[in-house]
Amino acid sequence: MTNELNVRGLARRFGALKALDDLSFDLRAGHVVGFLGPNGAGKTTTMRAIFGLLELDAGTITWNGQPLDAAQRRRFGYMPEERGLYPSMLIGDQLEYLGRLHQMSASDARAEAKRWLERFGLADRATHKVESLSHGNQQRVQLAAALLHDPELLVLDEPLAGLDPSGIDTISEVLVERARSGCGVLFSSHQLDQVENLCESVVIIDHGHLVTAGTVDDLATSGTQRLIVRVEGDRDANWARGLTGVTISEVTGGEARLVLDDDADSDVVLRAAMSAGRVVEFATRRRRLSEVFREATT
Amino acid sequence: MRYVLYAVLVVVALVAARRRRARASSTPVEARRAAYEMPFVRGRVGIVAAREVRERLRGRMFRVGTVLILAVVAAAIVIPNLHHRHAAALRVGVVGELPANLRAQITRDARLSGDATIFTTEPNVARASAQITNGRVDLVIVRDERVVVGNIATSPHAAEIAQIAQVLGVARALASAHLSASQISILEHAGGLTITSLRHAHVKPTDVGTSVIGLILIFMILQQYNTWTLIGVMEEKSSRVIEVLLATLRPIQLLTGKVLGIGIIAFAQATLVVGFAFVLAKSVGSSMLRGAAPVELVSILIWLLLGYAFYSWVYAAAGSMTERQDQIQAVALPLSVPLIVSYIASLTAVESGHASLFIRILAYVPPTAPLAMPALVGLRAVTWWAFALSILVSLLATLGVARFAAGVYHRAILRTGGRVPLREALALRRTRAT
Repeated sequence: MTNELNVRGLARRFGALKALDDLSFDLRAGHVVGFLGPNGAGKTTTMRAIFGLLELDAGTITWNGQPLDAAQRRRFGYMPEERGLYPSMLIGDQLEYLGRLHQMSASDARAEAKRWLERFGLADRATHKVESLSHGNQQRVQLAAALLHDPELLVLDEPLAGLDPSGIDTISEVLVERARSGCGVLFSSHQLDQVENLCESVVIIDHGHLVTAGTVDDLATSGTQRLIVRVEGDRDANWARGLTGVTISEVTGGEARLVLDDDADSDVVLRAAMSAGRVVEFATRRRRLSEVFREATT
Repeated sequence: MRYVLYAVLVVVALVAARRRRARASSTPVEARRAAYEMPFVRGRVGIVAAREVRERLRGRMFRVGTVLILAVVAAAIVIPNLHHRHAAALRVGVVGELPANLRAQITRDARLSGDATIFTTEPNVARASAQITNGRVDLVIVRDERVVVGNIATSPHAAEIAQIAQVLGVARALASAHLSASQISILEHAGGLTITSLRHAHVKPTDVGTSVIGLILIFMILQQYNTWTLIGVMEEKSSRVIEVLLATLRPIQLLTGKVLGIGIIAFAQATLVVGFAFVLAKSVGSSMLRGAAPVELVSILIWLLLGYAFYSWVYAAAGSMTERQDQIQAVALPLSVPLIVSYIASLTAVESGHASLFIRILAYVPPTAPLAMPALVGLRAVTWWAFALSILVSLLATLGVARFAAGVYHRAILRTGGRVPLREALALRRTRAT
């Protein structure tokens, strides 16, 4: 059976602010799921709720149909938004300590700490204090702390923030690897291009409630039809102006990006282009995740 | 004294060997086995406590602090003893004959005051007076005529000199009274009347120094370790490691582990200091172990433990309401007021030798009892059942305080963005967004 996290009807109010407003979504293990939303949308609050770090006004969170309890949460891995490590504690000791809190034996915790530090190229830093590391390396140690106990679900709040390309590649590789081995991975990020490359599916929330969710492919191909058309000799795409139900979103070097209304027909657009000159490019265009996000949250 | 030196050398050698081993190891992950285990506390509370113990022991502040405390205690024991020894030898110059029975009696009387006696023979009064002026003798007995001193009003041996003068005067009077040998013997061996003490005659009072050192120790350790607890909680909150920790264990487990771990270190340090003081005082023959001092040392350890147990929860709860160093002073100061008040009151009582009604009341109030009750013990002004009653009251209060503090900690520890208002920490108002 595939593990599954079910979030149902979460609500949490802070004074007049509705941080979570009837939020529901599902997450199946084996997938990397991007958890997206504008600042203040409720992502961090949701993640903290999964770990019981705040009380909910309403709603349930279940794992394979069972309400989450402390024992189950210890089988999850968590990386909070504001990194959480003891600054002056030695890195190796710190990982061992966190592993022990996740019910690992002392020997297993030591072995896994060593393994993950080697994996992240930090084996020689085990005897250093966390505060002596660069931001990127602290991030790697934080991720190692979340991975150490081979979690069933990984919840990572902005794991890619502030990383250089090499750091992003390392962490992305690990997340995909964990998902392939059957772990559920939920992570938030504002780096939508990275999310698009990394995730099979996304959950987008705004103002504390779900806006849209699905696979990246489905979201990219759903919605209004988009075309890229290039007509020889017409660098400003004047041929497309005045077409009913067609909006020119962008023209670059003769390449026109068109958005078609639901009742507009691509055949009509093709004929109009052919009548204006030789058509050198005519393609259906997928929505970028950033476009999906903007359309969903505006 | 040499045994103390041997003990210190052994400890230094063990510490040096341990440091060499630690340096030789490649990584702490491989080198140290069973680092997060507590022998008597299992589960996550034990793991948290073990981390506290280990990190605190590793800290330079603890090691330097312990050495400093030991040095202060050693100085407090050894210096008065040296001074006492120096002042104690009663140096008696003798011009002419001094019968052996009178020498023996003077020696006996001086010993009762804790002093040794050194007799020197002086050729004449002029030379003897010069010896007094040079400070080589404390007094000179001139045949059976008179006793010469520098200044009886300022002499540290004034009482003993007066006693000697009395003994010599009586001896001369007896000699001139034409009594028989047996009559003289009866008079010479006549004892004083029996003295009946209204308080427990079998217990001598404790040396004031023992009580003072004990009170200072309790005050210092409670202040130091409670502040550690406060700062430790604040640092977990400010570094956000608290979120990672509370994803794996309940707040009460984390809080209990921290209080327990720091408490173990505090009690171990206090036991080390008290044990060191005991051995050192015994070695140098200090008067600080006189009378009921051992009972008082045990009382000091008991109240140190109870005091820490009471205050640690309060300081931990206060720490959960702060997340910056500059906020610590504002919350720590009000909490330390009962400690400071009871410290001053206890020291005053011990110095005066009188257990006032005020100090007797403080001895049964949980926040002030950790200092006031040991003061009463030092003054021998408390019965065993009153001592036990105060312990019971303190334990019950600690249970209540721990429960209350755990609630405050639970509500405040995940609240970020400034100091948590007291009303919200006490759950008088719904928490706002974090």
